[in-house]
Amino acid sequence: MAILEDNLKTMKAAEQLTTFESGNEMAAMAAAQINYHIMGYFPITPSTEVAQYLDQMKARGEHDIKLIPADGEHGSAGICYGAAVTGARVFNATSANGLMYMLEQLPVQSGTRFPMVMNLVTRSISGPLDIRGDHSDLYFALNAGWVILTAKTPQAVYDMNILALKIAEHSKVRLPVIVAYDGFFTSHQKRKVNYFKDRKIVQKFVGECPTDYNFARDPKKPVTIGAHMNGDDLINNHYQQSEAMYAAGEVFKEVSEEYAKLSGRDYPVLDLYGMEDAEVALFLLNSAAETAKDTVDSLGKQGIKAGVISPNIIRPFPSEEIRKALKNVKALLIGERADSYGGHGPNLTHEVKSALQEDPENQTIVLSRVFGLGGKDFYADDAEAFFSAAIEAKEQGYAEKAFDYYGHIPGKKEQMLLPVITPQHGEVYNTGLIKTEKDPETNKLKVKIPPLRVLASKPKRIASGHGACPGCGIFTGLELFFKGIEGDIVVLFQTGCAYVTTTSYPYSSHKQTMIHNLFQNGAATLSGTLEAILELKERGEIEVSDDATFVMVTGDGGMDIGMGSAIGTALRNHKLIMLEYDNEGYMNTGSQLSYSTPKGHMTSTSNVGRTQKGKSFHHKDTAQIMASTNIPYVFTGSEAFPQDLIKKAAKAQWFAQNVGTVYGKILITCPLNWKSEERYGEKILEAAVNSCFFPLYEVEEGITTITYNPEEKNKRVQLPEWLKYMGKTKHLLKDENKMLLSELEEEIEYRWQRIKAKHEHPSL
Amino acid sequence: MSILPKTNELGFYEIRLESIGGLGANLAGKMLAEAGVLGLGLNGSNFSSYGSEKKGSPVKGFVRFCEADTEIRAHSPIEQPHVIGVFHEALYKMVNVVSGMEPEGILLVNSAREFDDIKQDLKLEYGTLAIVDALQIAVEEKTKVNTAMLGALFRICDFLDPESMKMVIRKTFEKKYPHLVEPNIRTFDRGFNEVKFKTYETPDNAEGKEFHRAAPQLGFETQEIGGVITAQANSILKDLSGSRQGFLPQFEQEQCINCAACDTVCPDFCFVWKEGEDKKGRKQMFLQGIDYQYCKGCLKCVEACPTSALSDMRETMGFADAHRVKQNFSLAAGGML
Repeated sequence: MAILEDNLKTMKAAEQLTTFESGNEMAAMAAAQINYHIMGYFPITPSTEVAQYLDQMKARGEHDIKLIPADGEHGSAGICYGAAVTGARVFNATSANGLMYMLEQLPVQSGTRFPMVMNLVTRSISGPLDIRGDHSDLYFALNAGWVILTAKTPQAVYDMNILALKIAEHSKVRLPVIVAYDGFFTSHQKRKVNYFKDRKIVQKFVGECPTDYNFARDPKKPVTIGAHMNGDDLINNHYQQSEAMYAAGEVFKEVSEEYAKLSGRDYPVLDLYGMEDAEVALFLLNSAAETAKDTVDSLGKQGIKAGVISPNIIRPFPSEEIRKALKNVKALLIGERADSYGGHGPNLTHEVKSALQEDPENQTIVLSRVFGLGGKDFYADDAEAFFSAAIEAKEQGYAEKAFDYYGHIPGKKEQMLLPVITPQHGEVYNTGLIKTEKDPETNKLKVKIPPLRVLASKPKRIASGHGACPGCGIFTGLELFFKGIEGDIVVLFQTGCAYVTTTSYPYSSHKQTMIHNLFQNGAATLSGTLEAILELKERGEIEVSDDATFVMVTGDGGMDIGMGSAIGTALRNHKLIMLEYDNEGYMNTGSQLSYSTPKGHMTSTSNVGRTQKGKSFHHKDTAQIMASTNIPYVFTGSEAFPQDLIKKAAKAQWFAQNVGTVYGKILITCPLNWKSEERYGEKILEAAVNSCFFPLYEVEEGITTITYNPEEKNKRVQLPEWLKYMGKTKHLLKDENKMLLSELEEEIEYRWQRIKAKHEHPSL
Repeated sequence: MSILPKTNELGFYEIRLESIGGLGANLAGKMLAEAGVLGLGLNGSNFSSYGSEKKGSPVKGFVRFCEADTEIRAHSPIEQPHVIGVFHEALYKMVNVVSGMEPEGILLVNSAREFDDIKQDLKLEYGTLAIVDALQIAVEEKTKVNTAMLGALFRICDFLDPESMKMVIRKTFEKKYPHLVEPNIRTFDRGFNEVKFKTYETPDNAEGKEFHRAAPQLGFETQEIGGVITAQANSILKDLSGSRQGFLPQFEQEQCINCAACDTVCPDFCFVWKEGEDKKGRKQMFLQGIDYQYCKGCLKCVEACPTSALSDMRETMGFADAHRVKQNFSLAAGGML
């Protein structure tokens, strides 16, 4: 970014204010000022904050954007597409596997030519899972047909978001646009930023929402959107799209120039630093380019002619400008935060090389390095090392190693991982004290368990030293459940707090085998593992005990995005257990609402303010949804009623070994995000059960039984007795929110009465 | 004329905050940075160490200040700060908090201990040590540690304006929590006034504390392919006692009825059991004590205990080590422990 001093002097630039904000905050601010119609989103680090900031502003009544929390990124892209076909202005933000999960939808959006703007807060894609930044997600978007702008600083994030919509809606373009900026480095670092005081300035700049296209908005003008084609037609459609993409490059220049006059900030196609006379140069995307500029300065003092090239737009790719910029450069190093495995260099290496190839006189030696993956920091000395490699190539006249990784280390043999404990399996976990058998009279399972004290002899499945917050309810819930399971287990943890806090490489807190998969797919994954082990056994290729129990562990978030996979697995009736720890929110990513968050509860995407009082719709009844798949056993449980939970675990094991799929939901506390005192974990859960918010019951081969009825025990309490423990529900106890509280109470009562009716009538 | 007392070669005055998640170091860093950038018109940047670390895990906060016309291009963590603020003494066990401290740097520590003790613990040879008992102030005022630390940091960064910070505190609380305004302003003032300094003379040829960029334990020749971990349960090697925020449970065996209620509610599996015989000669499990290496001080066990066998106490130096009962893990030969 260069300040256009002439413009500053001559233009009546619009009034701007200075603030100190991060990239995510500035993306949200631009969206709020534009006042988009719709944002369909799903939380994923590090982009989640964009939706959070917009929700905070919404609670204060600062914009009118309808924020729709989707069931996953695929759903969020669907919401956005569905909104875009009406000609509404649509906004989204995502990262990493969020982009991967919606990838299918990206070419749909661009190929049918409906503009929208999405912020891609770049992060490493799984696997292995890494929440920090690189460009591996961005590279999957290169072929999606979206215009891609790259923003190096929080200021650029704000500015590019304004440019993006104008480009997207331009009559020569009509394509969706991605604004890509570096996860954490740009998304989370606070910087001094200028923004327009009056949102009308922004709205005037982007202009009125175009209406001269074919939309699904007027019954008087019916249209068919998304007809299928054959190649004869498709090639013409794609030619149009290709032309539009190249046009976007020209439109970018126009719009950017116009914006410079308004803002005093100029975004040329290429950000060139020291390139006037550079003999060696680095080509870097986004934040790393900034770091390298400091190195250019220090090399300059040593008399070395060095420069940095960093594009502000990569789709369309600015080939011509790059060719010009590199005309006299002797050696160039292209540093990329992602690889194209097996391609002898990542994507942009080839795009730069192909740009140069069209200049027959070009003599630039090109080196390519993969660096900074998964958020690995890029320091000034790394930039120096890159320049040294380029200088060496220049002096030698060729590249010693054209393509390589940078920053990887071989490791030391003496630091290799060694087993710490002896493998824990089989008899270790077989107490012989838990008896489960079918009662021939009632045809129901009967379970005998010893006192808790006796079961203290049974070792835990999860090891101490995990990184959960103090007072976390996950592990007490899981271990109580595992206490009721005899023999070996094979567990799959879907992405979530339990997974993250027990598997921070190179540490594991699992004593038995643990498999992770992304949280829209755990149930399906474990069904594959289970069936493969059975098949291997069937063919005599492995010898394992008969009694291993397969457990898929998920949070309530995983049961949102992974609902399809869970239901599919249940319908196939694999012999495994799905165990959900429900803490009423996406706590691993910073307490966003889940569908299991009760109405009115505050989360980071259901804020409480003047115009909004927490979550707007009721909590999902996952146990009933799973019961209606007619699997043999469904239960609810809680740490506050340990014997009840252990018995249910024993039943779950019996059904998973003998009949088919089991689903169980354990309510657990999250002191951090419930804003409750750590020490009261058990009391809070007890109150949740006694208020009938969370009834303890089971559905055994279709028959519902309440296993603990607070009314019969004379323990029933009013809902506020539960809510009073938690900061996230404090507002519900205020007089002004009486109506909201009674709505929640009515829903809870209604659901409780239904469970009671089912308990009383076996055929319900 | 610069108001910044000193700057590095890129023109930055740099501050690093060392804390654990939950103590509010992140917010203190943000307030500090805003006071310089929005209050005084300096340029600056502020960020934290990133990751999925939960409450109680080590975190770092960073603040860079420079002149308004200096561009900030560096994104990387601060390695050689002018000021280091340590919010939590128990961090010494897990983190080298003084890493990269420059020779004339200032180290602020939240502590009730003496200068020379801290100097010895941190192997500090020179520089200025600043001590404030932020926890005590916060307990007395029923506020948070970070506000007291912020007061002390304002004293150290004397180019910042404490009065404008107090205005911010007032504005933050007065609407929703008016009763918290005065205690928080008192906390800030007390941090500002009660911080004590001692300078250890810096010889002319002094070099700063070397900064170590942590290398990973494994490399491409020693990682199992695919990132598979074969050392199950190796997290028992970790010491999580630094996650406690000043309190821990205390166990009195005489009062214990071995009901296992504590064991049921402990998220970190700290309770150590042993098989023995009861009065009638039957085999039974007996609670031996607490493995404080893993205890994060949530105190759920104290609430669950039906007798007075478990009670909470303010943690004192050395108590946990003296009273720790080690978990009896089945260790593998050759494993590290």
